Amino acid sequence: MKVLVAVKRVVDYNVKIRVKADQTGVDLSNVKMSMNPFDEIAVEEALRMKEAGTADEVIAVSIGVQQCQETIRTALAMGADRGILVKTDAVLEPLHVAKILKAVVDEEQPGLVILGKQAIDDDCNQTGQMLAALLGWPQGTFASEIEFADGKANVTREVDGGLQTLKLNLPMIVTTDLRLNEPRYASLPNIMKAKKKPIDEKTPEALGVDMAPHLTTLNVAEPPKRQAGVIVENVAELVHKLRNEAGVI
Amino acid sequence: MDLELSDEQRMLVAQVRRFVRQEIDPLETDLDPDASELPAEEHERLVAITTGMGLYQMDVPEEFGGAGLDVMTRTLLAMEMAQHRAGLYTPCYGTFGSMGLAQLYDANDDQKERYLYPTLRGEKRGFFGLTEPSGGSDPARAIQTRAVRDGDDWVINGQKIFISGADRADFGLVFARTSPDKGRGGVTCFIVDTDMPGFHVRRIVHTLRSTHYATELQFEDLRVPSENILGQVDGGFGIANERLTRNRIPYAASCIGVAIRAQEMAIEYVKIRETFGDLLATRQTIQNMIIDNELDIRTARWLTLAAAHKADQGAPFRTEAAMAKIAATEAGGRVVDRAMQIHGGYGVTKEFPFERWFREMRIRRIGEGPNEVQRLIIARDLIGGAFH
Repeated sequence: MKVLVAVKRVVDYNVKIRVKADQTGVDLSNVKMSMNPFDEIAVEEALRMKEAGTADEVIAVSIGVQQCQETIRTALAMGADRGILVKTDAVLEPLHVAKILKAVVDEEQPGLVILGKQAIDDDCNQTGQMLAALLGWPQGTFASEIEFADGKANVTREVDGGLQTLKLNLPMIVTTDLRLNEPRYASLPNIMKAKKKPIDEKTPEALGVDMAPHLTTLNVAEPPKRQAGVIVENVAELVHKLRNEAGVI
Repeated sequence: MDLELSDEQRMLVAQVRRFVRQEIDPLETDLDPDASELPAEEHERLVAITTGMGLYQMDVPEEFGGAGLDVMTRTLLAMEMAQHRAGLYTPCYGTFGSMGLAQLYDANDDQKERYLYPTLRGEKRGFFGLTEPSGGSDPARAIQTRAVRDGDDWVINGQKIFISGADRADFGLVFARTSPDKGRGGVTCFIVDTDMPGFHVRRIVHTLRSTHYATELQFEDLRVPSENILGQVDGGFGIANERLTRNRIPYAASCIGVAIRAQEMAIEYVKIRETFGDLLATRQTIQNMIIDNELDIRTARWLTLAAAHKADQGAPFRTEAAMAKIAATEAGGRVVDRAMQIHGGYGVTKEFPFERWFREMRIRRIGEGPNEVQRLIIARDLIGGAFH
């Protein structure tokens, strides 16, 4: 089975981001970029399937500017077999990404697509679900465990208040949750090998995907600053403040 | 010179950074603030990870199973590996392995069999015995320990000081004078087994490194067979010179790594710490400290990477390595000092790494050839040896 993994280049999770002065977005100049952590989990899961013999090829796809190639290289260094870069400078909305991924799926015919449940930059949590809808495939979102048996997959999902296990037909879409696995460290030999692995370049136009925007970002603002706390003298004062100032009792 | 990292370097740096933040940092919250070792089971667990990364024993030459990294990549990794409390002297607590004594790679086959391979397998430990009470940086004068030939053996008498690990070692390299009048060219390197009669650890010498100590050694009619001579008689200083000079560059880099982490912590702190109703970050006095830190870090980093680049080109790099060593150790000291000052009372507690870095960084200006001797190397290069 061929497994397609979508990897997104996002601001590194360690970076404390700043909103641009004109409030149109996040300042990305000189900011360290990395693979979306949920996508690392997706790559790791695909590699484990390959090691277990369930998958025979792992393809990493990234969509965006030229530097997304670095994100694909990282996936190749972890052990993915080849990469596809869909190059565009356009502002990407989840629906664009889902449509491009659908076009790639149509070409590659994978048995499984694994995506992060969301990207840590925009936190949309939409692409996997949209891709499943566009393809008409079953989806197992927020997966914390995937098992294959009798040509079907059991996907355990982390839902509010517990775990839900779905039996899904292949081909299917999986989006990863944090507890699915712990991504490996890329090894020096694999990092050296990654340079020789092929990365195909495509464009949304060549794939026939319309990149017209559907959303307009009106304003991006930092969360309001937390007010300093106060220290109360005694319980009576506390109760007074809770009742009259906070209005919670 | 192109300072853009290659894809490979960028990924390796990212892997090691993740290792330090994800594996080493959490362990340090529970370790003794002066610890230089991990509990055995943690060490084993982390060595399994570094082995999986293909970076265990990275400093061992490639022909002996090491990673075969170029100096630039090794230097970049050294900057990452040092970014934790014990990072200056025990980067990642030794979980990336150790090359052992650089000189042993130039030993003959029999000596490799007896000393190098057992060291690489972790079965034997060696020490490096050069410095004497009379000094260490100018061996032509300072080496007074004598070795006199007696049949097939050599008989050694004398003493050594500031020798690390000799009390726990199985063997060591001892530099002794074999030709009294030949200065630098009259010193021989002997491989000495610590259970040979006449080998004594006289006392333990405590230093700024709280849990680490050095030893003072005495040799009394210590009889060493000729086959334990490393290299040639009177050729003790011809061994592994280039390897040793090359090691000076990652040595500098580890000081920069600590400085980078100290600066990161300082920047984080000034944005949350209030004094007199405003954040430290708004105070120009504090801003200047942060700025000076950054200037120090970037200057030292540039010089160190330039030295690494030169070494990788196969060009002479002694002067560049000396400059890197001076710049990084001195910058490191200043940056840690300022970061400590910014943290105020917390800066000197053992809850933060600054006090350990402060003490250990001070040693770096003396270790690996004092900075004054490094300056001498530069002077010889710039002005010429005739004026020395």
